[in-house]
Amino acid sequence: MPRTIDKLRLRLLSMFRPRQVEQSLKHELELHLREQIDENLAAGMAPDQARAAALRAFGSVSLIEEQCRDTRRVSFVEHLALDLRYTLRSLLHQPMLLAAAVMSIGLAIAANTTIFSLASQFLFATPSAYRADRLVHIRMGGGSHVSHRQWRALQESGALDGLTGFNIETSANWRGPDQTVNLITMAVAGNFFDVVGVPMTLGRGFTAQEAQAELDPPVVVISHRFWQQRLGGTPGVIGSTLIFNARPYTVTGVIADGARSIAGLGLSPEVYLPVGRTLMPDFNSTGPVATIQLVGRLRDDQTLAAGRAAMAAAGQAVATPGERRLGELWLFAPVGSTEQIGSLATVSAFFGVLLVAVGLILAIACANVAGLLLARATVRGREIAVRVALGASRWRLVQQLLVEGFWIACFGTITGLVLMNLVIGLLARVPLPLPLPLELHADLDRRVLVYSAVLTLVTTILCALVPALQVTRGSQLPALKNQDPLAVQRAGRWWSLRNLLVIGQVAVALVLLVTALLFVRNLARAGDLDPGFEVENLQVAQIGIVQGRFTPASGTALLEEAVQRLRGMPGVQGASYAFGAPLMLRSGMTTGARVVINGKAPGVDAIYQDSFVGPDYFTVMGIDVVKGREFRQEDRRGSPVVVAVNEEFVRRYLLGEEPIGARLRLPGPTDAGYLAEVVAVVRNGKYRSLGESQQAAVYEVFGQRVNQLRFAHVFVRSRPGAAPAPADIAGVLQDMDPSAAIDVQPMRTSLAFAFMPSRVGAGLLGALGALGLTLAMVGLFAIVAYSVSRRTAEIGIRVALGATRNAVVILVIRDALVIACLGSAIGVGTASLLTSPLSMFLVGGLRPTDPITFVGTTALMLGVSALAAWIPARRALRIDPVMALRAE
Amino acid sequence: MSKPSDLIQGTLDLLILKTVALEPRHGWAIAKRIQQVSRDVLLITQGSLYPALHRLEQQGWIKAQAGTTDTGREAKFYALTAAGRKQLARELESWDRLSTAIGLVVREAE
Repeated sequence: MPRTIDKLRLRLLSMFRPRQVEQSLKHELELHLREQIDENLAAGMAPDQARAAALRAFGSVSLIEEQCRDTRRVSFVEHLALDLRYTLRSLLHQPMLLAAAVMSIGLAIAANTTIFSLASQFLFATPSAYRADRLVHIRMGGGSHVSHRQWRALQESGALDGLTGFNIETSANWRGPDQTVNLITMAVAGNFFDVVGVPMTLGRGFTAQEAQAELDPPVVVISHRFWQQRLGGTPGVIGSTLIFNARPYTVTGVIADGARSIAGLGLSPEVYLPVGRTLMPDFNSTGPVATIQLVGRLRDDQTLAAGRAAMAAAGQAVATPGERRLGELWLFAPVGSTEQIGSLATVSAFFGVLLVAVGLILAIACANVAGLLLARATVRGREIAVRVALGASRWRLVQQLLVEGFWIACFGTITGLVLMNLVIGLLARVPLPLPLPLELHADLDRRVLVYSAVLTLVTTILCALVPALQVTRGSQLPALKNQDPLAVQRAGRWWSLRNLLVIGQVAVALVLLVTALLFVRNLARAGDLDPGFEVENLQVAQIGIVQGRFTPASGTALLEEAVQRLRGMPGVQGASYAFGAPLMLRSGMTTGARVVINGKAPGVDAIYQDSFVGPDYFTVMGIDVVKGREFRQEDRRGSPVVVAVNEEFVRRYLLGEEPIGARLRLPGPTDAGYLAEVVAVVRNGKYRSLGESQQAAVYEVFGQRVNQLRFAHVFVRSRPGAAPAPADIAGVLQDMDPSAAIDVQPMRTSLAFAFMPSRVGAGLLGALGALGLTLAMVGLFAIVAYSVSRRTAEIGIRVALGATRNAVVILVIRDALVIACLGSAIGVGTASLLTSPLSMFLVGGLRPTDPITFVGTTALMLGVSALAAWIPARRALRIDPVMALRAE
Repeated sequence: MSKPSDLIQGTLDLLILKTVALEPRHGWAIAKRIQQVSRDVLLITQGSLYPALHRLEQQGWIKAQAGTTDTGREAKFYALTAAGRKQLARELESWDRLSTAIGLVVREAE
């Protein structure tokens, strides 16, 4: 043991006090010398002779010192320190090179870490909870939710330490200071805060006792953002009253800032309300009402498997005869785990595509920097040759060049992380036109840091290793003689590393551009698509009604009255109402059912979009009634049931039958369904999204068919230029029901939601494509410029021998174009493979291998390449042949 | 005068360890002592001595301490550590084995 301590002490001493160690060695050697001299003097030599003889016998002092230094075996660390200092200094001497390299890498790494950070927040983040690793998501009984009764029974069975649940699909109307707003709420079971343990910054969550659903408890917990932004962050918030659905609730607590909700996916609901009659009027009905998404807490000693078994057993035990499948668990996974991602195919695919794109950007940036480093190393060929001659091993040289790459990667990563923070900070501030309460954080959490460290390492290796190996390979003799071995463009020399790098860059940039252009065209197409109704001069009011406040009959009467009043406003041509609105968040229902036409059994299996609309709907919306008539006031509850269908429905299902007057048996609350008569055929349109293939549609009368009133839409068509202000329309509606949430927008603005995915995709990929193109062109420019400068002598000779200006220019550009063509060819091939899985994002009619896109991008690439080569070519023209020849 | 570079590196270690086993000595004194005891056959140059001393010190078999020489100069004295003593015994043993083996081979009766 003492030996190890001594050894360690010596090593540390050598590392941190090298001067001291060196001095001691010198001292020792001097002493030895003096003793030898004394001996020589004693043997009778003259003083100077004694000294000379002693020195001769001594040998080379520096060699001895070097050997001693080697035995101390800290050379690796010493060399590394030396390299770090030296390369940093030499890089700082070329600030342009350093800046260009750092910016390239920085941008690429910023893109990578931003996308990764967002993806990890959306897909992976663990919710903020007490000991979140013991919480599990549970799905059983064949559905995503269970009923309140089932939850209560399962909780009492004691299978897990605690069982609670939530519902993120509810909403409530909050009476704000200016207007009533419809908020997406998190409905939670009574024991939610007890089981989950959400971190609070003020107050507390409600307890199971006080929040029993049967009591319809008037307690609420709000999020930090709600408190700060909507309530102004006033200090006396605990105990204050908020009105939800026209009922007063007391605030018991405020959730900590930045807490991640258990719902995941970046969702951050603003209010947590207990399940109760006010929020969910039919939560306790005897039918199988899907109310609660289960979350369980495992006991300390319970494994995942044991918990799952216990829950399955409990499900079996508490199931009533109608709930046979309650014992089947199809999800039992820790919260924040990756098992949930299976159900998020589209989102994951989207992030997957982005990650690949930014990965490619990083590759291009690395290729750029590698090219720069390669050029730099070649210029220092002489220095390297001398060092090799003096005895440096190849590894030593490669190490130094790697350290250079490491510095660039390091600075680049720091720049990238700073940029990432800026970008995410900006994104968090910009309100996305989403109706969902999403919160984005610029977290520099462990995962992102590890990811960046890995990126740095990969970048260093990519940028520096290959050039380093390339430059130190082969004979150093030409370098010593100050010749550039790459100057002579012999036939076999064409496939040099630099050329290959640029070909690769061009190929990758082409792939990015193709994808970007595809999305831009997609966006343009989507913009041109006819939604099937008149978008201009139309305003739509979204009405969120407190559940249970109106019966279907009284609700319909309310809407009729509202529409009556709106028609009386100046400038209004017509007004109508409907349950859903096309292409908006709440657009109606897709129904699949067996429809019996004109009594002909067994009927057809039809899939159609089901909408409930009021009188004059088609006129107000500007939908052509091709055959038949509009719905009228007379079509109401109690009168014969009538429906309208669109042309696609006629084409698909009413084969050969006369549509007007056809009798359809549609699915209804009973097994027998109900009979309806078709009174109109309307023009086709878009219903759920702009990119959908043509859907069949059935329009039913609002008053006749709607059976619960939670929200509705009112449409107002005005004369061009005479539109009433949205606030006026909102005022009229709010007067009729003060507890309802009213939001009035022009139809065009509301459609922005439908466009958003395409816009985001096109914008992002367009930006990335442009970035990739810029980087690739910088690379191409650099290589052509470098090649011209190296071929100065050759060009000089050609001109002296009589080559015309054009010939010289063609010579330079030709090489660049060959590179660009090769790169484009590879890029086109790769792109056609990569873009096929993107068809899900594209609107109909646009193929992933759309020829216009491919041809256009290739032309763009070649054009820009020619331009990038043109500038050095012009410089080549100015070479004076005499000067060029002399410079050799 | 045979050069110590003919010696295998291991035997130089053995010589140094043995020399400082009896009493701590500084580098010059070690070289002189080996020369004396071997009757001028083994002459160790500084080029081999000091690297060897440093290596032995790094291994932890000898320890350096400050001291004064006979001539009154400040010098680094090397002493054997406990681990060094064990190493010395090991080296002696292997040297014995080696030299016996060589002896057996070269003195083999024709």
